[in-house]
Amino acid sequence: MSKMIQPRLTQLFRFVRCSYADGVAELVYAFDDGEELIERIRFPHAPAIPAARAAAFDAALKLLHLIAGVSYYKAGVPPKIEVASGPLDDATAELLDQLYLHGLAEFAYRNGLDLRGRIAFPRGGVAPTVGTLSLPKRTLVPIGGGKDSLVAVEAIKSIGGEATAVWVGNSALIAACAERTGLPTLNIQRELAPGLFELNRLGAWNGHIPVTAVNSAILAVAAILYGYDSIAFANERSASAATLEYEGQQVNHQWSKGYAFEQLLGNWLHTHVASDLDYCSLLRPYSELAITRAFAKLTPYFDAFSSCNRNFKLLGPKPADRWCGQCPKCHFVFLALAPFLPKPRLLSIFGRNLLDDENQAAGFDALLEYQDHKPFECVGEGAEARAAMYALSQRPEWQEDALIERFRSEILPQLDASQLALEPWLEPSAEQRVSARLQAALAAIG
Amino acid sequence: MKFGGTSVATLPRWQNIRELVASRRAEGARVLVVVSALTGVTDALKQMCAQGESGKRSEAAKAIAQRHYDLLDHMQLAMPDTLGDRLADLARLADEGVATLGELAWQAQVQAHGELMSSALGAAFLSHSGLTTQWLDARDCLAAIALPNQNERTRLLSSMVDSRPDPVLAARLATLGEVFITQGFIARESQGRTVLLGRGGSDTSASYFGALLKAQRVEIWTDVAGMFTANPRQVSGARLLQRLDYEEAQEIASTGAKVLHPRCLSPLRESRVPLLIKDTNRPELDGTVIGPEVRAHAPSVKAISARKGITLVSMESVGMWQQVGFLADVFTHFKQHGLSVDLIGSAETNVTVSLDPTENLLDSDAIAALASDLAKVCRVKVIAPCAAITLVGRGMRSLLHTLSGVLAEFGQLRVHMISQSSNNLNLTFVVDEEVVDTLLPHLHDLLIGAGALRTDDSELFGPSWQALYGSGEVPGAATAWWRESQRQRLLELAAEATPRYVYHLPTVRQQARELNTLSAVDRLHYAVKANTHPAILRALVAEGFAFECVSPGELKAVSAIVPEATPLLFTPNFAPREDYVFALGTRATVTLDSLYPIEHWGELFRGREIVLRVDLGRGLGHHEKVRTGGSGSKFGLPLDQLAIFLQQAETHGVIVRGLHAHLGSGVLDAGHWGEVYAQLASLAERIGSVTFLNIGGGLGVPSHPGEARLDIAELDRVLREVKAAYPQYQLWMEPGRYLVADAGVLLARVTQQKGKGAFRYLGIDTGMNSLIRPALYDAWHEIVNLSRLAEPATALYQVVGPICESGDVLGTDRRLPEAQEGDVMLIAQAGAYGKVMSSHYNLRDEADEIVIE
Repeated sequence: MSKMIQPRLTQLFRFVRCSYADGVAELVYAFDDGEELIERIRFPHAPAIPAARAAAFDAALKLLHLIAGVSYYKAGVPPKIEVASGPLDDATAELLDQLYLHGLAEFAYRNGLDLRGRIAFPRGGVAPTVGTLSLPKRTLVPIGGGKDSLVAVEAIKSIGGEATAVWVGNSALIAACAERTGLPTLNIQRELAPGLFELNRLGAWNGHIPVTAVNSAILAVAAILYGYDSIAFANERSASAATLEYEGQQVNHQWSKGYAFEQLLGNWLHTHVASDLDYCSLLRPYSELAITRAFAKLTPYFDAFSSCNRNFKLLGPKPADRWCGQCPKCHFVFLALAPFLPKPRLLSIFGRNLLDDENQAAGFDALLEYQDHKPFECVGEGAEARAAMYALSQRPEWQEDALIERFRSEILPQLDASQLALEPWLEPSAEQRVSARLQAALAAIG
Repeated sequence: MKFGGTSVATLPRWQNIRELVASRRAEGARVLVVVSALTGVTDALKQMCAQGESGKRSEAAKAIAQRHYDLLDHMQLAMPDTLGDRLADLARLADEGVATLGELAWQAQVQAHGELMSSALGAAFLSHSGLTTQWLDARDCLAAIALPNQNERTRLLSSMVDSRPDPVLAARLATLGEVFITQGFIARESQGRTVLLGRGGSDTSASYFGALLKAQRVEIWTDVAGMFTANPRQVSGARLLQRLDYEEAQEIASTGAKVLHPRCLSPLRESRVPLLIKDTNRPELDGTVIGPEVRAHAPSVKAISARKGITLVSMESVGMWQQVGFLADVFTHFKQHGLSVDLIGSAETNVTVSLDPTENLLDSDAIAALASDLAKVCRVKVIAPCAAITLVGRGMRSLLHTLSGVLAEFGQLRVHMISQSSNNLNLTFVVDEEVVDTLLPHLHDLLIGAGALRTDDSELFGPSWQALYGSGEVPGAATAWWRESQRQRLLELAAEATPRYVYHLPTVRQQARELNTLSAVDRLHYAVKANTHPAILRALVAEGFAFECVSPGELKAVSAIVPEATPLLFTPNFAPREDYVFALGTRATVTLDSLYPIEHWGELFRGREIVLRVDLGRGLGHHEKVRTGGSGSKFGLPLDQLAIFLQQAETHGVIVRGLHAHLGSGVLDAGHWGEVYAQLASLAERIGSVTFLNIGGGLGVPSHPGEARLDIAELDRVLREVKAAYPQYQLWMEPGRYLVADAGVLLARVTQQKGKGAFRYLGIDTGMNSLIRPALYDAWHEIVNLSRLAEPATALYQVVGPICESGDVLGTDRRLPEAQEGDVMLIAQAGAYGKVMSSHYNLRDEADEIVIE
């Protein structure tokens, strides 16, 4: 047994090694000279790795090791980072420096830490040269149980694209949604190192990590392993907007869902893994409202999906078994769907009317950025929420609901009505890196 | 005899039908069998209708045909011509598409094939198995009638049939044979086109045939034994309704029961043909008979039902309702937008109506368009999702006085509307939909408890759903220890002195051992506030229990008795600072349940591990006694303060090791703990330091005779399910009353009696000073005359104590034997919150306590 560690007093974070055998990747980390922390990622029914893809696989696995380390690094946030396999090339080190700094920005803000100048991955290695692998023309689509990934799935289905619904971890909700898509499914398991729970008990730092980056790296490994030429996330435009600014630093809860990370990782995969492995977000040009409008047509998912951020590990048939009705995600999705669905249908999805409940006023205020900052959640922009609220305030079937009434009498007079139109939000922007093969799917959403 | 889609989908089910038909033949009856399409076939046909391409339609038709080939195969039958012709027809219809017939007529023709095929197949099977069966085309018997309100769609797809008796048809059938099979769901209209009967069509067909032929009876064979006093999926204690009249049955079917479509009762009502609902799998069960007779019965609520997905439209306007034609104009808008109004409530300035969850309401702009139109003349509010809870029973208004407890329950909720019709069959409350699932079982219990739902009348009410279909054993009511084995002993103890509490330790142990079977629970704490008697504490130490205390006094009392190693939990509420100081000096794990201690006395807890009690509140799913959740309760940290609490904990170096929530008490439904457990676990996932979850106690102990006990095996199953999802957390519980309530009785002696008007008061030598629960919570305790246990209970007593308070009543309207001064009275279930809550009020002596083995 190694000695007890005080996580917050550690000096060194070590990327010890990573390996892969029989469908299981082992990622090993350590603090100082402490016990090894071993994370395992299980790829079901893993085929043998074709020889032609071996180098690409190793590169993707190494990146996964480096990215997944963020879950452990944050427990101690020690001043020094060491990579046992040697220094990284500049592009790799840059990707990781950015990811750790911005991806942990909310964590740092909440814990009163300043990570600037603290995160420096060792540099000096040589970048590889990679070519095309002629990967099969099919797409991994991560499913989260929420509306966004389902819109992406339906867009790909609409152009007859071949795709697999993939998710990481156990979630009955996601499994149910994935099944509803009718696509083949792939469920990858991630087992955090048990030692992390022990560190938490010993008073480790805790908070939000850029989990989308970890999942992206897992899917990059999966794409090479199973043979896919693209990974299509469903991250939208507003994911790039900062939640708040704090002592000169932008803090974005969903940084790893933003465009900056998409570009970093997408380019990195092209130069370090395979030039024909595309990583993109299919919803990038669209606002939340454009996406909710698209989702409003997907009736078969209404009784299966949930964007609620309460982790419902056990499913039940009632709306309350999928929607807590109190978190910012519930508030936002309710509000953003409302302009596009008949009111009784919307209320049947949630099982209650969140906009006719005075107790929810503070939650909706935060979405509108009225008297508060945007919540630390994956929710749309304040102006978007205001546009949706304004649209409802003009509808007779919504006008008398408690929070709409309040918006009309209290908030609306303070706003510039010319800035509140819904329509501009439904226009796609130019920003996207969707591969040529999937461009038609992109267009199908708008 | 009518059989539905699942009943005709497999060979074993057809063998079952054959036996049932044969048994009716053996009774001398001539039988007409009405069948639905094979399960799933009608839906497949509908989808085929929606398919634009002829190629895909043909493919779909082939798949449907294959279902019938497969079943024929199982039956080892050759393809009968009747079925072959149908399959060929269907293939042709699929190929041709709408073209010649017109869309709706074509759809009707296509969908009719589900029943045409299943009945042809059934005729072949029954005849082949030796029961000669004539195939009858329902369209030759049922003539659709044209109604003024119909459009082409309703005429063809949701038709009505003339149900006047048809002696010609009856005579024709008499010449043809003894056993017939025909189709549900279809009929023919005056131009000779095939029409459908719409939803619930097969049941309705059976009724039409019953009425036309003046049948002896109509039997609907389904997957449940009949109608129940509530939806069994919501209320497992729902009782089978053995007898109903047409109107009551129609009301119950219209307000929620799915077993029968309400449409199918009206044809029978006129011809006075009874309808019997039977369970195909359990033909031995009595089922529900619906008929015309209204025999003399005590007025009773027959059922409580709930319809969800209701939308209310509330229209507010000043003084306009009185204007001639205003309401007509308003309702015209509803008609224009295709919305049909169900309930209506009105006041001087408001009219509120309810809309059922139709497709038009949910998936079109109807409600938005309606609101726009109405907004021109009044203020509109659309309230949803709501649920209509309806009590059904003939003579509802004469039952109102019995409903006070039930009505009080509605007092805790947002009731949007109350409605009662002049036919006096129902009483409906419209409430928020989310409360219904937990409210309904509770109301059902209250109705029985209040004597409004007279389940004691065995003519009307059959066994409970739980007893008929429930999984596993229904926990039976074992004979109480005091009734037989210890009765003599108790009489001797009472002869020595009264009032006195007597505790039976074997019962404590038995309850403890039962809870110890909860394999999901890692640690059980006895909540000592229920009863702090040292012998009980010792007995529970021996059973391996830990202990939960709420005050320094309890901590001291427990510490004096239990060994050093026994874990203690300190869970106070609004306790002063010094209480925490004291508790932190002991080994007890301390629970905080508000921000104040950590904000103001944070340093007290520095470096300590604590438990945080949260209030999961309203809206987080559970609504067991709404009054205990949310801001109305003084317990627990509201979730919106959780982040601040954790920040404060961080600041003061306090480690949140456990999360705790408590449901309330007297909960008899295992599912509640699963919900609390899962909610706590998902909260804990956001707090890295948590290692255990304490889901509290509140395990209910039934008090009324016949009430079902908490199913401990089911509770364990529910808890294990959550644990499998969150294996990283230890699970703690803290039962109190469950362990000791049944173990204790209060003995008292009869002092005097008094008659006053219709009331007879029976005085005993102690009252609310010894046992305050009846006065405080309206708690019901069984009371018996222990001296005359075997004598017939002929008197109706109000059992009262000697305290100068009008609330000093221990039991109202109790059937007891005629009592005499000095008789020993026993008040049961007094082991919990009895002695510990007693007082010296009126300076009466306290009851003493005796422990027996």
